[in-house]
Amino acid sequence: MKKLVPTGEMTLGPFFPREFAQGANDLTVVEGKAAHGEAIEISGRVTQLDGKALDNVVLEIWQAGADGRYDNPDFFGWGRAATDSDGVFIFRTIRPKGPQGRKAHVNFIVLYSGLMRQLQTAMFFEDSDDPVLNSVKHKDRLIAKKTGSYSYRFDIRLRGEGETPFFGD
Amino acid sequence: MDYAIEPRPAGTQSQGVEPGYPHTANRWPAQPLARRPHTASELSGPGNLMRRLAPVRGDLAGYGDKRAIGQLILVRARVVDEDGAPVPGAVVEVWHCNAAGKYIHPNDSNDAPADPNFYGAARVTAGDGGLVELRTIKPGAYPVPDSGGWWRPPHIHFSVWGRVWLSRLVTQMFFQDEPLNEHDAILNAIREPEARSRCIASLAPTAKGPADALVYEYQLVVRGRKAAPSL
Repeated sequence: MKKLVPTGEMTLGPFFPREFAQGANDLTVVEGKAAHGEAIEISGRVTQLDGKALDNVVLEIWQAGADGRYDNPDFFGWGRAATDSDGVFIFRTIRPKGPQGRKAHVNFIVLYSGLMRQLQTAMFFEDSDDPVLNSVKHKDRLIAKKTGSYSYRFDIRLRGEGETPFFGD
Repeated sequence: MDYAIEPRPAGTQSQGVEPGYPHTANRWPAQPLARRPHTASELSGPGNLMRRLAPVRGDLAGYGDKRAIGQLILVRARVVDEDGAPVPGAVVEVWHCNAAGKYIHPNDSNDAPADPNFYGAARVTAGDGGLVELRTIKPGAYPVPDSGGWWRPPHIHFSVWGRVWLSRLVTQMFFQDEPLNEHDAILNAIREPEARSRCIASLAPTAKGPADALVYEYQLVVRGRKAAPSL
């Protein structure tokens, strides 16, 4: 079969509708019901080359549930958040279990004005022997900092000092 | 895995830092992007996205005295994967500026009038043939502030979910025969001419379309294809 070439990605631009970015950052509730598992909060700050915090950056996540599955009807592992004027985003979610062959992690994409393509990365809860975590040079930058019993901090530096590792094709 | 995501030909995608678009050099990573193995995590994805996102009607133009100002158009966009197979159920978000080049957004400083009858955004689900249809008005061109004369050509933003997490596509659709297309730093970041031309919607023959609207046809190819059976 003839293979089609995927459409060229382009920047989200500065005018992504505000209301599209809101209201989808709480994964602990699915259709009005509490999802099974341990509720946690993941927050972070998104910065650019000069360290400036970025407003209205769109982040999307995809993760397994507390059972390590991606198709559990009682959990929906996708969410979206946008940064505020301090560059801060917050997700409320369920602590994932590592799916088969993987350690516990949350996939992220970053969409923003001036990003010509989506940036893909992943957050881990601890240094671990995971095939995706092992594929980056600075593993420590993909490991969230525990800031409380149920809260984690995952800062994203797009470019420059302490740059977050991102994944390509 | 029965679905595979393969590397894309370089000229068909922006390489990240674009000389005509200064912000890209502050935001695109300096380090090379890492290659990772693809596991169930990357090759699964949110099935029914409307469990978390509400639909927003695909009619941006309105009717009668509530009709948005501008040239009425129908955009027929088809979502397919790399095998050319339609992706029914694909969720598609769109947003664009009004006919005067003004977005409904607090960050838009362009001194152009708002249109009270134009909302400017929709979220719809592709039907069986992977087809979504949007009824809207043709967006205007607008100047990019402090850019030394860069004007964005008329375009519609698309955000699309394919079959798996790695199929996510955010892009912009352009219009055939617009003179500003030739100079746009975003469209021309797609270096390969054929790949670039596929980002431009074509005008369908007017004899076949509705009496009151121009029809533009466009295809969105999301990443992924059926994996070859292992031997």
